[in-house]
Amino acid sequence: MKQIAPGSSAFRTSLSALRTRTAPLLLAERGRLTPGDVAFRSKHLGLYRERTWLDYCRMVAACARSLQALGVVKGVRVAIMGDPCEEWLILDQAAQAAGAITFGIYPTASTAEVEYQMRDGGALLFVAENQEYVDKILPLADRLEGLRWIVVIDTAAMFGYDDRRLKSFVELLAEGGRANDDGISTLEIMAGELSAEDPAFIVYTSGTTGNPKGALIKHGAHLAAAYSLVEHYPMLALEEQRTVVFLPLCHVLGRDAAITLPLISALVPHFGENLAEMPTTFYEVAPTMLFAVPRYLQKFASQAVVAIGNSSPLKRLCYAAAMRIGRSFARRRWSGDQALAWPYRLMHALAFAPILNKMGLDELRLVISGGAPLPPETMALWQIWGVNVVEIYGQTETAGGIISGQSGPFPRPGDVGTIAANVEVTLGDDNEILVRGADLFSAYWRNEEATHSAVDAAGWLHTGDAGEWRVDCLRIVDRIRDFIVTDGGKTISPSYIENIMRASPYMAEIAVFGHARKYLTALIEIDFDTVSDWARDQGIAYTGFTSLAHNPKVETLLREEIERGNTQLARVEQIKQFRILPKALDPEEDGEPVTPTRKVKRKQMYERFKELVEAMYDDHEARLLAQSIGDVAA
Amino acid sequence: MPSSSGYFRTHYDQDLRFIDTRTQRYCLWLLLAWLAIYPFLATEMLLDLANQVLLASVGAIALMLLTGFAGQVSLGHAGLLAAGAFTAGILFKEFAAPVWVTLPASAAIGAVLGLLFGLPSLRLRGLYLAVSTLALHFIVAYLGGEYEAKRGFSSGIVIDPPVLFGWVLDSAQAWYFVLLAASAGTLLLAANLLRSKTGRAWRAIHDREAVAEALGVNVPAHKLLAFVISSSLTAMAGCLFAYFRGFVSVEAFTLFLSIQYVAMVIVGGMGSLLGALLGAAFVVLFPYGIEWAMAILPIPTRWSGMVFAVDYAAFGLVMIAFLLFEPQGLVGIWRRMQNYFLLWPFKQQLMRK
Repeated sequence: MKQIAPGSSAFRTSLSALRTRTAPLLLAERGRLTPGDVAFRSKHLGLYRERTWLDYCRMVAACARSLQALGVVKGVRVAIMGDPCEEWLILDQAAQAAGAITFGIYPTASTAEVEYQMRDGGALLFVAENQEYVDKILPLADRLEGLRWIVVIDTAAMFGYDDRRLKSFVELLAEGGRANDDGISTLEIMAGELSAEDPAFIVYTSGTTGNPKGALIKHGAHLAAAYSLVEHYPMLALEEQRTVVFLPLCHVLGRDAAITLPLISALVPHFGENLAEMPTTFYEVAPTMLFAVPRYLQKFASQAVVAIGNSSPLKRLCYAAAMRIGRSFARRRWSGDQALAWPYRLMHALAFAPILNKMGLDELRLVISGGAPLPPETMALWQIWGVNVVEIYGQTETAGGIISGQSGPFPRPGDVGTIAANVEVTLGDDNEILVRGADLFSAYWRNEEATHSAVDAAGWLHTGDAGEWRVDCLRIVDRIRDFIVTDGGKTISPSYIENIMRASPYMAEIAVFGHARKYLTALIEIDFDTVSDWARDQGIAYTGFTSLAHNPKVETLLREEIERGNTQLARVEQIKQFRILPKALDPEEDGEPVTPTRKVKRKQMYERFKELVEAMYDDHEARLLAQSIGDVAA
Repeated sequence: MPSSSGYFRTHYDQDLRFIDTRTQRYCLWLLLAWLAIYPFLATEMLLDLANQVLLASVGAIALMLLTGFAGQVSLGHAGLLAAGAFTAGILFKEFAAPVWVTLPASAAIGAVLGLLFGLPSLRLRGLYLAVSTLALHFIVAYLGGEYEAKRGFSSGIVIDPPVLFGWVLDSAQAWYFVLLAASAGTLLLAANLLRSKTGRAWRAIHDREAVAEALGVNVPAHKLLAFVISSSLTAMAGCLFAYFRGFVSVEAFTLFLSIQYVAMVIVGGMGSLLGALLGAAFVVLFPYGIEWAMAILPIPTRWSGMVFAVDYAAFGLVMIAFLLFEPQGLVGIWRRMQNYFLLWPFKQQLMRK
């Protein structure tokens, strides 16, 4: 792999310099400075196509010209829906170069959510990754006044569609391409029309309560905010880092990893053939750096743990021995002793390195987890395996930058590290974390009211998270509105408990209830993959998700898992009762209590499964019993 | 497929490489280094064994192409070796032809015989085909015997060591390198054939003729081609055999030799070139192993005269054991071992062919 000299001119930049730039301008600069370097690799028909900065510039410029011809001008909105792919970046950058404000829609969003965001954003042009998304937008298209064009990236299944609004990505590329133009000067001219103060894109918050709000983010603020990550993790800019793009690009973390950071650091994104091929992509690319959300880290780890559990006795023994040494080594490392002891080295080579190698994660030097709290057990497990996992804390409203992040290497789990250079943080009422800085979002899109309630007159952004200081590190307690106050008046953080429980490989999702109740209860969604593996191993017959969820042996398994988690909790925090959800939560269905990012919407969860929750509280059952006895008595 | 993460292709040419990853490259260099110094370290006995194995591997690869890949049974292998050996012997004796004439001549004779005796394969299958190839064996053996008798070489034809580029092949070390080159050349040829259209057609025929035909494979042509290529390689091996021994006699080409070659293919592992090499090594070394075992084990001395009987019996038993317990042969064992560590510490998965 090509190494880029530290401090090479391509990356010598600063927060203040970036505040005056736009992404299309930076793209043109990279095109001039390092035209032959690989900007990203994207797999197509088995080959990783190496796209240089020059290729990137040329394609973006061609698309930008075509978009302009379609009426995409300054201030117009462009929506993009689909899994990460190179065309996503190209169209996003092209639209931005043309002056448009782009926004991504979660690939897993339900029809109602698509309609809401399209209406709220008022997009002129909708980019659909493939026919699946065309089918989502076409029935709505007539009701959306502003929508004029639908651009399809992958036209493989598009025969038989006849709609004048449809355009293909290839057409855009061909129509806008000029034989004698490398794209750089076109981009420079287009970028000249833009100012760093112009809005660049909108990111819709996941919306665990109410409808998602669109955070409007300016060019300069986003670039500077993303650079705060580079300042926090300098290795990103020191030498080429391979990363695999698998997070949705409409998420601000996904945008950082795939679009913005490559412009301002030495990160090289890799795109797989498609998202279903993710394990293959990881294996082939062997990324050195990853951005991840806790859900994936948990899923990868639990799959590996369950697979080892099904392995031969000798291999299991080897793994167990390695874990014993690994655990004590991890504890020692957290207390400051970074030296690699030889028993750990041996066990790492014998057990952990082969595990990571099979997953393609053995060359990882940094994994940045954000987007949701990472369960400490999961983080500890990855660190024992030898992967440097750090946790960051940020919000959509911090424009792609972080509020704080653990510097590591191999930091102790439990906090979210030190404050980023470009923000100041203080604790307000209820210990709410307040953030102020130059690089925050500008406003919520067409929602003055929400903007005013989020940012106060002094410029402090109210995060809605309760935090506390641990020396100079920030620790997140919970979302303030999620706090449970029990019958006994005890304030409990449900996500703290949920995170401990989530260490179990068999739970995909858990929601803790107990506000104004005597004790805590939980609804659990089983992880179908791992539980079905376990069931097969145990010789338990099942036909599908529901039959597995209703199996008494599965309930016993989960009871044991809950009991194990309970031992780490104070008495009032322990879960006394639980129910297993009879179906998998699917964000693509309307009215499901999860967001497209699979965050649980607590209120809706309760309403949807009210009977299950209520059945867990004795008084309800007692009332029922009393009622039936009453009937008998009468 | 690479056995470690972090390998991706950016060009289709990379698919054509034999040696692609770093590990493979290191392993190859290590192997080449070992092969290069072996003749200078080995004792005379070990060197002779290596030469025998290398010579047998040429024939084994040829038979593997025919039986293991194209799925055509043949019991005429000894006959083809004999044909090659006699071609060399006769041309040497009658015309004093040098090796660069006899070797291509053997190949041509082998090709013609292959074409002739491949013809029944268009109509016959399995056991019936095997019996028809037996005819080849007896006809060649008869003709060879007749030549020996008529020309007065009834004890066999003696051939002088060949001269290659002014270099007389009369030492075991010289032969080692010649045979190594022959074996490597055959292996490379076979490997390239197998990944080309021809090889794929053979595999398709092996799996199911009707489907192969439906896929557009010219079944008769490819069957005959398999016979021609396999036979001509085998005849060349026979020619080398004649020069290597310096002696051609019909007694050397018994039906048992045919069986031994079939055994190499089965014990090594059907449908694998590595299997052909392993099988050749196994079958050649087996009698020496038995002899050695009998010398070491506390066996009554009166039994020691029965080495040959024990050898045959043990050989039969081993064949039965392989067919029953390890139909994939030595290469199956090798792959399982590889898999065990490849997937470490995860569960070993079912092997794919």
